[in-house]
Amino acid sequence: MQIHEWMINYTRQTEWIDRRGIFLWIAFYTGGLGGGLYLVSLYFNSLWGMFLSWLIIAVIKGGAHLIFLGKPLRFWRIVFRPGSSWISRGIIFVLAFTVFAAAQMAFTYWLPGGPGEAVFKVLAGAAALGVAVYTGFVLNTVRGVPFWNSAMLPVLFVLYGIMGGFGLAALIALGGGDVDLAAAETGSRWLLIVNALLAAAYLWMASGRGETGRQSVIEQVRGSMAAVFWTGIVVLGIIIPLVIGFASYFVGEVSAALLVTGVICEVIGGLSLRYCILKAGAYAPLVMVASQPAANT
Amino acid sequence: MSDTRTVKTTCKGCHGGCGVLVTVEDGRITHIEGNPDTPTWGTMCSKGLSSIQHVNHPDRLKYPLKRTGKRGEGKWQRISWDEALDTIAGKMKEAREKYGASSIAVSQGTGRGYNRYTHRFARSVGTANIITPGYVCHSPRIGLYGLVTGYGRLYCDYHGWGGEFPKTQISWAKQLEISSADSEMAVWFLNSLKYVKNLIVIDPRETALSSRATLWLQIRPGTDAALALGMINVIVNEGLWDKEFVGKWTYGFERLKERAREYTPARVAEITWLKEEDIVKAARLFAEDTPGCIQVGSSLERQANCGQTLRAIICLLGVTGNIERPGSMMSWMVPPSGLLEDFFFEIPITDDMRKGIVGSSDFKMGAARTAHADSVIKQLRNGNPVVRVWFSVGGQQIVHLANTKEVLEALSKLEFLAHADQFMGPMAEHADIVLPAAHFLEIDDIYNMHPRFMIEAINKVVEPPGEAWADAKIFNELGKRVAPEYWFENVEKMLDYQVRKANLTWKEFSKLGVLATMGKDQVYYKYKTDYWKKGGGFPTPTGKFELYSTVLEDLGYDPLPHFREPGESPVSTPELYKEYPLVLSTGYRQPFYFLSQYRNIPWLRSFQKDPVMQIHPDTARKYGIEDGDWAWIESPRGRIRQKARLFPGIHPGVVMATANCFYPEDPGPLHGMLRSNPNVLTSNDHFDPMYGSPDLTALLCKVYRAPDGK
Amino acid sequence: MVVDLTRCVRCYACVAACRVEHFLPMGMSWPKLVALETGAEHPIVSTYSVRCNQCQEAPCVDVCPTGASQKRPDGIISVDQDICVGCRYCVIACPYQNRTFLSRDKDKGFFPGQIVTGFEQAGREQYPHEVGTTEKCNFCAERIDAGMAQGGKPGIDRAATPACVNTCPARALTFGDLDDPASEVSRLILDKGGFQLHPEYGTDPSVYFIDGRIGQWYVPGKYDGTAQEPAGTGAER
Ligand SMILES: Nc1nc2c(c(=O)[nH]1)N[C@H]1C(S)=C(S)[C@@H](COP(=O)(O)OP(=O)(O)OC[C@H]3O[C@@H](n4cnc5c(=O)[nH]c(N)nc54)[C@H](O)[C@@H]3O)O[C@H]1N2
Ligand SMILES: Nc1nc2c(c(=O)[nH]1)N[C@H]1C(S)=C(S)[C@@H](COP(=O)(O)OP(=O)(O)OC[C@H]3O[C@@H](n4cnc5c(=O)[nH]c(N)nc54)[C@H](O)[C@@H]3O)O[C@H]1N2
Ligand code: SF4
Ligand code: SF4
Ligand code: SF4
Ligand code: SF4
Ligand code: SF4
Ligand SMILES: [Mo]
Repeated sequence: MQIHEWMINYTRQTEWIDRRGIFLWIAFYTGGLGGGLYLVSLYFNSLWGMFLSWLIIAVIKGGAHLIFLGKPLRFWRIVFRPGSSWISRGIIFVLAFTVFAAAQMAFTYWLPGGPGEAVFKVLAGAAALGVAVYTGFVLNTVRGVPFWNSAMLPVLFVLYGIMGGFGLAALIALGGGDVDLAAAETGSRWLLIVNALLAAAYLWMASGRGETGRQSVIEQVRGSMAAVFWTGIVVLGIIIPLVIGFASYFVGEVSAALLVTGVICEVIGGLSLRYCILKAGAYAPLVMVASQPAANT
Repeated sequence: MSDTRTVKTTCKGCHGGCGVLVTVEDGRITHIEGNPDTPTWGTMCSKGLSSIQHVNHPDRLKYPLKRTGKRGEGKWQRISWDEALDTIAGKMKEAREKYGASSIAVSQGTGRGYNRYTHRFARSVGTANIITPGYVCHSPRIGLYGLVTGYGRLYCDYHGWGGEFPKTQISWAKQLEISSADSEMAVWFLNSLKYVKNLIVIDPRETALSSRATLWLQIRPGTDAALALGMINVIVNEGLWDKEFVGKWTYGFERLKERAREYTPARVAEITWLKEEDIVKAARLFAEDTPGCIQVGSSLERQANCGQTLRAIICLLGVTGNIERPGSMMSWMVPPSGLLEDFFFEIPITDDMRKGIVGSSDFKMGAARTAHADSVIKQLRNGNPVVRVWFSVGGQQIVHLANTKEVLEALSKLEFLAHADQFMGPMAEHADIVLPAAHFLEIDDIYNMHPRFMIEAINKVVEPPGEAWADAKIFNELGKRVAPEYWFENVEKMLDYQVRKANLTWKEFSKLGVLATMGKDQVYYKYKTDYWKKGGGFPTPTGKFELYSTVLEDLGYDPLPHFREPGESPVSTPELYKEYPLVLSTGYRQPFYFLSQYRNIPWLRSFQKDPVMQIHPDTARKYGIEDGDWAWIESPRGRIRQKARLFPGIHPGVVMATANCFYPEDPGPLHGMLRSNPNVLTSNDHFDPMYGSPDLTALLCKVYRAPDGK
Repeated sequence: MVVDLTRCVRCYACVAACRVEHFLPMGMSWPKLVALETGAEHPIVSTYSVRCNQCQEAPCVDVCPTGASQKRPDGIISVDQDICVGCRYCVIACPYQNRTFLSRDKDKGFFPGQIVTGFEQAGREQYPHEVGTTEKCNFCAERIDAGMAQGGKPGIDRAATPACVNTCPARALTFGDLDDPASEVSRLILDKGGFQLHPEYGTDPSVYFIDGRIGQWYVPGKYDGTAQEPAGTGAER
């Protein structure tokens, strides 16, 4: 980048997706997925699911985030500004979840049915919701990127997380775990439809947020991100899982392999969605047109 | 404790001469900034500031080198200074004996503050075959000012010392705002814009200044003489001339009037691609809103009609009386320490020297004291050269002369070439001996690129790398070997000698830092006093400001200004124009480069990696070129590629290429010079009759996309 | 700070001055030039010399999870290299893209693989740049603090004025106290219609821009007596 080309066009953010930024992308996605899975697991009261979500958040999400930081050894400093910083809040959610969910699982395992379990279920559930939702707020509050300035973003992220959660729950069921396969599939199906509509609505509304927002949307559907958008989000993330879902609904039994494929596709879809949303986040140019010098008098 | 000191010195990263403060800690330069107590008010540009990366550059030449392989093969052997200088001196003496002293050429590039050594050295060894880019850069201006006014240096009085700033300023083919060119400083000019009423910019390209100026004349390159004459036409027709000045102090007004009659605004508009009303408006503003001045840029001197173009512009100054009054064009007085220029010309040119000057019979103005570079090249190519041995200090003739292919061929036929430089550029690569030169932060010297304003001290800040020497020392030590009677025991003695008229020793001057004639002691209206002539007048043959030049008449040139089409143009070569439908200019300077220099300085390179050509979006579209594409530019001589920058501010019929460029990082001997340097395209067939200047800034070309850019 | 688009000639000096002043690594530039040409017939060539706006309502400070980014009492937004974790939230949140995360590939040295210059060595001692943290223009806070400690006035005395402002040959940059209505900056903003970049973000930048035409403020007769005598002419001799 030659510095005089700075911000005269729509400038994509790069820190949070390019190069080492991919770790943040993974962290953000797995946060949503883990949070969603925990909530789904609460619904099914699936200890396997809870354990898996704990792993996803504590290890994958936490690890990816740590690798992403420029100064990982100072990570503990992140918690100091929850008053204004969504990243602070997010990390607190993560830490809280790690502790609460661990406690909850211990209670569930050793002292099921007690008040301890209930209390920690509520606490960990809230933290899980926080983990799933905060990345939406992180982006949503960035004023310079119109594409992200949408209240729908946190909702979208949470619902995508829960959808992924249902998908993983289905896998647990397939593996003989403590989940009802049919219910997981139904949840997954409905969320797929809702999410597809939501994502479409999101794009449509973003394209209305000024020239820059429109540009971001165009980038997605027609520009450099079109491949990821159409194959990742639309085909793999929505169409294939939907086809498999309806097949299993109307035809009845479908093979386990197909179901696994469907879930993998869903996860890819979720990853692609985050990817595209991060990647297409663009700043409005610093100056649109030179101010017209006043006439010479 | 660390040893910290601040050295006051003078930057010569360009023609400038900004006063700077350099902090050194434990032998390392840790800071550089402008010195507020100097005539440049503590400002500095990106080039000067990046000197920090320049002095420390790992590719600096450190030791004298001798070629061991074939010329240009890049095989070198380190030798001692004694061996290097003895070899060069031997070659010079041998050539002097065999062919006469004029067979020795001494060359430099654009002024780097050692011009006076170049000239002194050449004359001391008995030759006036001095090769400089002067004929395309500043000399024609100086010469013609001298011819018309009798006094060689006219500068705009934008300092307000006479109580008045220029009310109307014309920036004519000049980017003084970033070039600090030709004895003027960007800071002074930019400061004066606070007080200007009308700024007129004459340039085929829009610039930062032109877009906010009163008037911008987007002229066809190479047609400026027509515009100046057209303006005179308007002034004459509307009776706007300065009656008193013209009546009393000029010579040949009636004949100029007659000549100007041929240049009606309608005709000039057709020639120049300008609007008639703009020509009229410019003329009126300049004649009525006085005082005014003209910044003359060297793009006008890089054209084969340069002499007459400048003549026309000077006549425009004359008829408007914009001479010698506060806020107009002034001839500054020499500072009391004006001794320095004696050092330059102290050794007179003998008849022998004069006879030996290459090109002197063809270009009577340009090749009177120095050689005509293109004629030297042509002779070498044709195998009948006067010049056999070439001693080159700085300067990339190989890059900067017209028609690169012929220059390369010519250089290969030289008997001997020695080159002093800081880096191994294309010129050094073709030399037999290469001498390592020191950077300005590593030398003690006197800087006199602005002799009418200030003489400054360059004080050594750090030691040069390896065995690099100051240019002054190189000249002195070689001088001692070839012409000992004119040279000095050591550099300090030589510097003492140069400042002695100011009653100073070098050491004292070095502490003082600046000697200047600025401000109150200016004498305005010198022609009204006995300054030049008893009873008033100009120091010309007629005693008047010569609108009609008697000297030119004697030399056999047109005594009145006229317009002549460039050697190649839509009008002069219509057939060629069909094949090459765009006008190409190669003038414009980049603020962060100095000609071909500084592309190896990381900070400066970061501003623009590749040479850029500006092209109008409509034109680009026509040829399938998009912003940022590599594009071929082709002329009958060859083709080069530069990065296209789609720029609505350039005339759709004109393409502007970055001049003087090669890629230091590319392998030698040419360092990618043939890839992008516009002189591959320029012609050395059409010259200005007076100065021999080729059409570097006005020729024809075609452009097309370079698909891979490789 | 006030940036005058009428005067800026796109010379890049401000950029270079900052690099020298702060020993900036190769991949980092605190100030930047936004080069713009608009309009077709008579395009306007403008150069916005941009740097951190030291926003009064700075989103970069709000989002910083560690408190490394802070607003100083004088309004300068500072980043503490010893606290920053390199999360880049501030980089994302600055709508003007004025922050740079210093990754390893941006700090390869001036002449990678060849030498480390004395200037770079000195920089590592005197002005270290921590890879893995985020940086931006700090209005030359160190310089201003040191200059003011010696009684200098920002915008008037060079020692208490940013490097880029000092070096600008066009005098396109003016520095001073926005809270002081008598300061040069306040006067320029008022007289010449200063505007901020993207005021709609609600950040309230402390850098203003002004624009106009050359000659617009021409006042006949203003000349007399105002002529500026260059300093250091040696006339004392
Ligand atoms: N097409 C086209 N051609 C042009 C022009 C154009 O506009 N268009 N411009 C013309 C003009 S006006 C000019 S002046 C010439 C310029 O031509 P040159 O002066 O030849 O320009 P540079 O390429 O800068 O070469 C200068 C060389 O001197 C070296 N050098 C720098 N400083 C010093 C020093 O202090 N000591 C020594 N020993 N060496 C030093 C540099 O490293 C470099 O190799 O080009 C001319 N040619
Ligand atoms: N930063 C920097 N400073 C420099 C140099 C450098 O390379 N870089 N080079 C130095 C040297 S050697 C010189 S000679 C000077 C030159 O410096 P200046 O004399 O200031 O001129 P240039 O920038 O070469 O060109 C001035 C303008 O002429 C315009 N032009 C081109 N052709 C024509 C024409 O036919 N007619 C008219 N009216 N305008 C035309 C170009 O568009 C350009 O804007 O600068 C010196 N200073
Ligand atoms: S204008 Fe010339 S003399 Fe002044 S700092 Fe720049 S390079 Fe040096
Ligand atoms: S310009 Fe950006 S970095 Fe500077 S204070 Fe404003 S938001 Fe923060
Ligand atoms: S990168 Fe550093 S300064 Fe920026 S928000 Fe993170 S911790 Fe704060
Ligand atoms: S104010 Fe100082 S830190 Fe900021 S851009 Fe200018 S020189 Fe750099
Ligand atoms: S130093 Fe001044 S004139 Fe040069 S680019 Fe910066 S603001 Fe513009
Ligand atoms: Mo030149």
